[in-house]
Amino acid sequence: MTTDGVPSWEEVARDHGRFLYNVAYRLTGNDDDARDLVQESLLRVRRGLETYQPGSLEGWLARIVTNVFLDEVRRKRRRPVQALPDDPDRVLPADAGADDVAAAAGLSTEIQEALAALPEEFRVPVVLRDVADQTYEDIAGSLGVPVGTVRSRLHRGRRMLRAALVESGVVE
Amino acid sequence: MTTPSEDLLSAYLDGELDADDRALVEGRLEASAEWREVLGELRETRDLVRGLPVREAPPGFIDGLLESGDPAPIRLDAKRRRRTRIAAWVAGAAAAAAIVAVVLVPSQTRVKPAVATLVNSHAARSSVSEEPVSELAPVAAPVRLGR
Repeated sequence: MTTDGVPSWEEVARDHGRFLYNVAYRLTGNDDDARDLVQESLLRVRRGLETYQPGSLEGWLARIVTNVFLDEVRRKRRRPVQALPDDPDRVLPADAGADDVAAAAGLSTEIQEALAALPEEFRVPVVLRDVADQTYEDIAGSLGVPVGTVRSRLHRGRRMLRAALVESGVVE
Repeated sequence: MTTPSEDLLSAYLDGELDADDRALVEGRLEASAEWREVLGELRETRDLVRGLPVREAPPGFIDGLLESGDPAPIRLDAKRRRRTRIAAWVAGAAAAAAIVAVVLVPSQTRVKPAVATLVNSHAARSSVSEEPVSELAPVAAPVRLGR
């Protein structure tokens, strides 16, 4: 940490890499895209550190990872890439370990799938609120929308998520 | 009395309402079993997402970035690898489409008039008979269409 309270990107990666990766994974729904998202976010962190105002570092990181994610969503919409049928990484991550096996046996896989199936405009507020623990005001700042819009999207997102979980039998 | 929007329920659950809206929602919750049920469902859904385990990065991922001194040392490699796979897949798909087109699309019999042969033949006959006009007559005869 420098004397003016601004961390280096290495400190961000070391101390907040776990937070970044978790948010990235919940946004993208897979490890491959989560890794790309974290790396691109850290690049922006390195570029943006000069303008960083000491405050909620995780709020700032959540905003960056959200922006990178939404940029990627927009890019894919412009140039859609089909999933590769012969790519084993997309069927089972190459580095799938005991955690994946354990997760596959539990409910978290079904919850993650339901989350990943939400349209981005509803998934992002849910992840920022319930995974990244951001306030409505922070989320509104990240998305560039009024707080009322966050409230509405978050509510609808949770309702849609609930319906998906009922359908998959996770809840009644 | 104003009927509050149901959107307020999530914000109520998250403690994100001001005092007026909170009072509005609480009044509605007292009066409506349906609202209480929705609130319970929202709470359960929220807690399920909050209860998801932290997804750990693949072993060595963050350390690898730190050791390289670059936030994205393998990013380009990964993109390039993916692009290569996409290119290979597209090329494979194109080749398969070409094979399907050749095998499945019925071949058409092409009519190739032997123009050169006909011209030579005609010229030969004309030069022997020395009557090019009469030799051409059958070809040039007008066709009457039912008149």
